Amino acid sequence: MTGTYILRDDLHLATPPPHPSEAPVHNPNPLATTVNPPTAGTKLSIVVVAPRQQSHSRLFRLDTANSARSQLPPSIQESPNESNSQASDSGSQSVNGNGITASPREGLHAPAYGSGNSALAILNGKDSKDPLKRRKPKSNIVKSNSSFVSRVIPHEALTKRLQEHNPNGLYAFANINRALQWLDLTSPTKEEHLTKILFTKAHALCHDVNQSTKGPGHVDIILGFSTGDIIWYEPMSQKYTRINKNGAINNTAVSDIRWLPNSENLFLAAHMDGSLVVYDKEKEDAPFVAEDPDQVQPETEKKARLVVRKSVNSKNQKFNPVSYWKTSNSRINAFAFSPDCRHLAVVSEEGSFRIIDFLKEQLLHQYMSYYGGMICVCWSPDGRYVVTGGQDDLVSIWSLEDSMLVARCQGHNSWVTAVQFDPWRCDERNYRIGSVGEDCRLLLWDFSVGMLHRPRAASVRPRSSVTSATLQMQRTRTDGSTSRLRSNSNLTSGSMVDEEEVVHEVEPRARTAMLPPVMAKKVDEHPLCWLGFEEDCIMTSCSNGHIRTYDRPKEGAGSDETRSTSASASNV
Amino acid sequence: MTSFFGRLKSGTGPASPASSAPPAKKDPNAPQLTPLEKLLQDAGPVRADGSDKFFGFENVFWKHMVIALCPTPLAWPNSHITSYCNSIVQCLYYSVPFREQVINFPSRSPPEALERPASGPLPRLNTNLSPDTNAQNSTLSPKGRNSFSTPATASPRKSTITPGGTVIPGQPPKPEDNKDSPEYKKKQALAAGPVLSMDYENSKAYGMSESLFSALKDIFEAVIAHRSHIGVVSPHKFLEILRRENEMFRTPMHQDAHEFLNLLLNEVVENVEHFSKTRVHEIEDKDTNAVIPQSNAVVDATASSNIGWVHELFEGTLTSETRCLTCENTSQRDEAFLDLSVDLEQHSSVTSCLRKFSEEEMLCERNKFHCDKCGGLQEAEKRMKIKRLPKILALHLKRFKYTEDLQRLQKLFHRVVYPYYLRLFNTTDDAEDPDRLYELYAIVVHIGGGPYHGHYVSIIKTQDRGWLLFDDEMVEPVDKAYVRRFFGGEDQLACAYVLFYQETTEEAMMKEQEEESLAAAKQAAEVNVEPVSVTTPKANGHGLANGHGIIHNLATTPTVEKDDQFASLDHAATAPPLPTSDHNNTLDHITTSIPILGKRQSNLASKKEKAEKVKEEKERKAMEKELEKQAKAKRKELEIQRRDMYRKQEDDLRAALAASRDTATEESKKRGTDSGTDTHEKEKPANGLGSISKGSGLSRFRHTSMSLRHKPKFWSGGKEEKKDEPEMPSTPGVTEAEQTPHSTPGEKEKKNRFSLGRKKSTFHL
Repeated sequence: MTGTYILRDDLHLATPPPHPSEAPVHNPNPLATTVNPPTAGTKLSIVVVAPRQQSHSRLFRLDTANSARSQLPPSIQESPNESNSQASDSGSQSVNGNGITASPREGLHAPAYGSGNSALAILNGKDSKDPLKRRKPKSNIVKSNSSFVSRVIPHEALTKRLQEHNPNGLYAFANINRALQWLDLTSPTKEEHLTKILFTKAHALCHDVNQSTKGPGHVDIILGFSTGDIIWYEPMSQKYTRINKNGAINNTAVSDIRWLPNSENLFLAAHMDGSLVVYDKEKEDAPFVAEDPDQVQPETEKKARLVVRKSVNSKNQKFNPVSYWKTSNSRINAFAFSPDCRHLAVVSEEGSFRIIDFLKEQLLHQYMSYYGGMICVCWSPDGRYVVTGGQDDLVSIWSLEDSMLVARCQGHNSWVTAVQFDPWRCDERNYRIGSVGEDCRLLLWDFSVGMLHRPRAASVRPRSSVTSATLQMQRTRTDGSTSRLRSNSNLTSGSMVDEEEVVHEVEPRARTAMLPPVMAKKVDEHPLCWLGFEEDCIMTSCSNGHIRTYDRPKEGAGSDETRSTSASASNV
Repeated sequence: MTSFFGRLKSGTGPASPASSAPPAKKDPNAPQLTPLEKLLQDAGPVRADGSDKFFGFENVFWKHMVIALCPTPLAWPNSHITSYCNSIVQCLYYSVPFREQVINFPSRSPPEALERPASGPLPRLNTNLSPDTNAQNSTLSPKGRNSFSTPATASPRKSTITPGGTVIPGQPPKPEDNKDSPEYKKKQALAAGPVLSMDYENSKAYGMSESLFSALKDIFEAVIAHRSHIGVVSPHKFLEILRRENEMFRTPMHQDAHEFLNLLLNEVVENVEHFSKTRVHEIEDKDTNAVIPQSNAVVDATASSNIGWVHELFEGTLTSETRCLTCENTSQRDEAFLDLSVDLEQHSSVTSCLRKFSEEEMLCERNKFHCDKCGGLQEAEKRMKIKRLPKILALHLKRFKYTEDLQRLQKLFHRVVYPYYLRLFNTTDDAEDPDRLYELYAIVVHIGGGPYHGHYVSIIKTQDRGWLLFDDEMVEPVDKAYVRRFFGGEDQLACAYVLFYQETTEEAMMKEQEEESLAAAKQAAEVNVEPVSVTTPKANGHGLANGHGIIHNLATTPTVEKDDQFASLDHAATAPPLPTSDHNNTLDHITTSIPILGKRQSNLASKKEKAEKVKEEKERKAMEKELEKQAKAKRKELEIQRRDMYRKQEDDLRAALAASRDTATEESKKRGTDSGTDTHEKEKPANGLGSISKGSGLSRFRHTSMSLRHKPKFWSGGKEEKKDEPEMPSTPGVTEAEQTPHSTPGEKEKKNRFSLGRKKSTFHL
């Protein structure tokens, strides 16, 4: 049931040329071994400053008009969920037994990260003298003579445009190459950026907007750079602060960065050496020394665990980092926080996908891609599923409750670079996923809970016990699997008991459901690198700087059943 | 012609701004270790398995031919003509099981045997020269290595690699004078030695007749037996045999690396099987006489039981299911393959190409299926899946595609990504181990603008020294990310052409990834400035911008075609002698600047921003424009030239082939007189399995080999030949010249057992 998605808009952001200090050395040698800086194409974040609107990524909407369109039984549709009532959950969600289960409500009850540490609490408390006034970064970026910032180009009528901005309208921040652009997508002159910052050599690879501090007069953005540097930037006041300056704490590129859920100050940065570092936007850098030598040791052992090199519970919280973990030495490509604000899904270049309880600083699960690195990860709005995409051209759906791979979605012709749930097309039983890839295509996938539990080949597992004893089940599975994915006989089954629970082996194809897309459409000439769902549109961006907006099917235009569309023409 | 080159030369001066930059500011007198030497500084004594040997391969000419056909071999222009061979042989050397089998089959030669080849007083300048100069521990010392190249051997070789060695006054410095250029490095590598001049052969010591396999074994054994970790192999004998036996490889024209791989594997299979067959005969003979020593029998038994090792490594099985649309009858057919040729799509992945390979296809119109049940040509549906997965999966990306409108092969620059690890989706349901995990361990990269010219290099993962770039004589460590630079794309001249994946396990994968990233982390800690760079010194890149690029660009511009073609002209002795040295020098300085694409400005940008941008980009743009203008003009010029050249090329090829046929007969006559084994080999019947034969091997290796044509050959045994012809209008000369010598009786029965990639029969129609 795909409607017609119509291209509304194609906004092209120019890739900035290299900084003049870095003369464009045109190297015609195809074999040159010069190291190119890591690049990340064009990445966007969409911000609505109006306070009542929450981050859609955390929304579990059953009440919108849209969800009614997704053929829900009326009973579910009517259950009012907006107020986070537990009741609505009970019907569909009987599976809360194993502690990983995420219902969206729990998120609000999840303790704040580091709340158990008085050393952190004090410092945080200090800030809350005037809770209404947001703290701003220190330096003015426009007047800055930092060698890090090349130039800042604010729009000439910036103040006027800000005033005219509809608080419900969309702001967009986009990092492309060495530039960060701030756009007003609802403005008639949206192609004119509100502010554009050009950095000198460092490429901005990722950024995130703090959803809990944003407001009409304040937006906290953090940016991660190819040099390892991080910038906290407030666009309204044009102020910024540098963190991990010149890689003081970690000098490898930042591949992904996000504010901790509901935190004003703390954010998590994934560095390319496999480190996950929590920083405080207002703390100074201090050279980092791993605190717990015992913890560092096991790194050499080949064992699945999260090495905590500095715990959030450390008493030494005067300087950054707040905490410092290491998953492996392999580059982390992306991570995502669960809607319940307890878990962290991390995917890396080595092909691993980890679920971490970041409050307890514990690795819960470690899965592997079918093959090749994993590139992107996303949680379902209700936190029950995680979807990953990677170099096996697959979108993989993982169930947290069953701690297993639920389905592999095959349809991309190249690597999958971004996956997102469409929160406006998700309910308790049906999920809509979108994905984009290097093949320049946008694919939409529908899966429903009932359908998912039917693996293609004969299932080895007892279906009835899904809700109970997950751990036990895993063990049986491991033991009973004679045809595991080993080419040879050197199958070392379950080297450690506790590891067995954490490390999950690759599921053979014969035992995994394969899901075809409901729609596949080439939407760009260049490899795509980002995907976002809004209430009225789907947006994509490509490595070349095109941001395309596709309107969702119009309300009431044709019935659900008969809609077939330009966009879905190239179906499957 | 000269004016054309002159124009090119002057026109490209400013196009390479990098070349005017002063070379790296380092003490030129300081003895510098090459990156490879640095990497191997801690290398211990050499190992017996050859895993710690990193030899370049000299880009050589078949001297005999050169001497026979070109009166002035010293003036022979330098080009990349044997890089197809070098890149493939390197890949095979680092295919560990393959190397092991080669050196152990039929038995491993003891070092003494290597020291003194049984074949007689051929000059040998490799292993036995070293003992005094080469102290045990200084296997890498350049001083020690220098002493290897004896004047007697160095001079002729030098002459081939530094053509036009006479520096013309007033000439700008040649690229090989730039210390960071690959040309310089290759020269240095040759000069530093040790150079294993493989112009002898030990086949008798192996108890075999001279063959490609024995020559390959000679090379492998010599490399492994040598005391040095690094050096250069000069594979003269190997090339000689190759060219003697295979018409297409006799011309100095650019050859296809994939075709060569296929030929080599088939030849090795054939040689090995032939050997064991004759061995069995011998044993039988001896048996009748009842005088076999026990030990001998054991050896022979193991040897013959082992003859299928190439199959074991590279061979997989494809099942093609064809459903006749008329009678609904489904027929299955199994087929062995040694490599898979996959069609490419823009912005796709290897995974997707493989999946497409197994997609259902319609056999209709000119491609109808001959149904046994209803009898006659019918429309049918066909799909092919992998039934048995090979241990080593050689994937050929079909970058050379025949285009109807241009009437010739064209290179596809599609961006095709390949992961470090791979599994196959297109297996049959009953396949054993359908989820087998493969790891990428070698890539053959084609650099160039078209199929008729260019250069090949290989990038190979070695056992414990990470990834290395093998560019003829030069061997250099590269970091893992470098492997991903050859996906292809609009402005990428260097594209992966053959990918080698080998079977592995998840444990091995995890272990290796951990080690790699640990090493990378260490490197990053050491080199603080460049955290991402591993092992590759900074200077390298800069230098490459000057020299290497120019040279490789050379290889990629159509001018090289001309170069090649002149070569064939010379070779065929049909063209007037050219001032080769001069024109070669000129060529060296041709650079093509690829216009940078995708820098389009946002047409929506505000005035203000525009102004700012203009300011910012002014200089850059001006330069770009300039470059582009030049490039455009040059392209136009070259295009015109190229059209002419292609026409000419065909004639030349024909002439060259004719000439080489003459030499071949001459050669074989000559050989016939001095060795009896050869005739024996010539008469060799189809081997036991009856499927591989010289004839079929050869006929496959035309430019229009099956993999490029997607002919479902096995459907219509005898018809196939006829069908081929109209499809190759581009090289009618080739077809004629080529086919005549091979239409030996029995060719028709010789099925192309190891061919693949005739997927998508309708693709080009």
